[in-house]
Amino acid sequence: MVRAVTPDTFSFMVLGYAVILGTMAAYTISLMLRSRRINIELRMLEDAQARERESQTR
Amino acid sequence: MAEDRSPTVLRIDGGREAGIRRYFRAISAIVWKDLAAELRSRELMSAMLVFALLVILIFNFALELSVRSVETVTSGVLWVTFVFAGTLGLGRSMAIEKDRGCLDGLLLVPVDRSALYFGKLLGNLIFMLVVEAIVLPLYSLLFSVNLFDPRLLLVILLGSVGYSAVGTLLASMAVQTRTRDMLLPILLFPIVLPVVVAAVKASNAIQQSLEMATIWPWLNLLIAFDVIFVAAAFMLFDFVVEE
Amino acid sequence: MAAGDANRSMEPMPILLKVLSGFSVALFSVALYMVWFYAPREVVMGEVQRVFYFHVAAGWVGALAFLVTAIAGAIYLLREESRWDLLALSSVEIGVVFILINIVSGSIWAKPIWGTWWTWDPRLITATIMELIYIAYLMLRQGIDDPRRRARFGAVYGIAGFISVPITFLSIRLLRTIHPLVFGGEGGSLAGSFNMEPPMFLTFMISLLAFTFVFVTLLWHRYRLQLRAEQLEQTKMKLLLE
Repeated sequence: MVRAVTPDTFSFMVLGYAVILGTMAAYTISLMLRSRRINIELRMLEDAQARERESQTR
Repeated sequence: MAEDRSPTVLRIDGGREAGIRRYFRAISAIVWKDLAAELRSRELMSAMLVFALLVILIFNFALELSVRSVETVTSGVLWVTFVFAGTLGLGRSMAIEKDRGCLDGLLLVPVDRSALYFGKLLGNLIFMLVVEAIVLPLYSLLFSVNLFDPRLLLVILLGSVGYSAVGTLLASMAVQTRTRDMLLPILLFPIVLPVVVAAVKASNAIQQSLEMATIWPWLNLLIAFDVIFVAAAFMLFDFVVEE
Repeated sequence: MAAGDANRSMEPMPILLKVLSGFSVALFSVALYMVWFYAPREVVMGEVQRVFYFHVAAGWVGALAFLVTAIAGAIYLLREESRWDLLALSSVEIGVVFILINIVSGSIWAKPIWGTWWTWDPRLITATIMELIYIAYLMLRQGIDDPRRRARFGAVYGIAGFISVPITFLSIRLLRTIHPLVFGGEGGSLAGSFNMEPPMFLTFMISLLAFTFVFVTLLWHRYRLQLRAEQLEQTKMKLLLE
């Protein structure tokens, strides 16, 4: 019985998982960055609002 | 007899009948409005026609079409031409509505919104069919192929119905965006693809005069897609024109 | 800055979301371990067959995401509550990312097995069309300024797209396919198909489960992000009007 030799496709497996995990990581990081930027902006705006309110009451 | 006993019931029935008649009158009014405007200006048809001929001309050079080689690619060339010319027509016909404020006027008419949809659908379909009716004989003349097969005409009709059904819905969305004409093909092509695939395949099978057994599945598919798309677009159209 | 300061404008992350995030990461790690070390090597294709587990799972997440978009869109059209629109948008974004993963990883798997990066096979075409439809969805939204119109059009296009995808597949399926059918069928003799041994099947199921959890977690985070983005817009508008 002739048995075909299993081909060496290890590098393609590594490439595949590099792309899969890399894309998922990139998306997660983009979510975190966007979230942080929005938080910073929100905080700045609300501080500005609070300061304005303070100055008006004085 | 029933008149004196239950006048309310009669009035409701009469109302419904008048409503249906009004519905169809609204559809035909929209279609006539589009056709009359087009007969006066001839903007849309002439642009679509010239564009269609240019597409065929480019194909002629790109694919080195000759009388001998044309058989195998005819259905593809024809459908690409129809699809491109159709996009041009759809975008323009909805842009006119939007720019002249016709849409807002039509929305005030106390008739179901779907009448507006079917009116525009019929108008767009007629424009597309007229262009096709001119392109087809011209194409068979230029490349000496016989395209006058009633089955082929049926396929072209069915394909155009599906294409206009989706196109009318998406064009009325596209004209209300900032990017307008640029956006329409991007929105339309991926969604209408199944109709185009089935139409090209059916046309191809007829063109190569295969037996009906290979043509029927595509024809059935085309009919099913038409029904699905008309029904879906009809239901969704309400939300597109609502203001 | 006081800790309470940050909570003034932002709701703190719900406990459930924290637990869910942790669980998803853990389950994902388990799935990854199983794929690499537990599942046996496939004899005919070799190591590259391991791409299969996450490749299919990513495709599943993409389809699930677009289903969520269509349903959320339909609910939005019925109720006109903006949160359903935010959910639909969040889901589309995640779906686009995962279908991209699906397409690229599939292409990498195809190269050593079919000998080409790309074939015009029904499933490949359908996945690509799906990606294009939802990229168009995002472009449509970008072109509209009025938020309510944006939400309505997004819902309409999300539903129309979801109706179109299965029939696109059906219409292209009528042509012959060379894609392996994972669960039996007539695909047994095609290049790239294989018999799934029990450990492989278990790994596959765990991968699907892990990706489903990852999807729900990401969707929730993305939705919260969108909520805050809206809040930011509104605050800005308020400041401008004052």
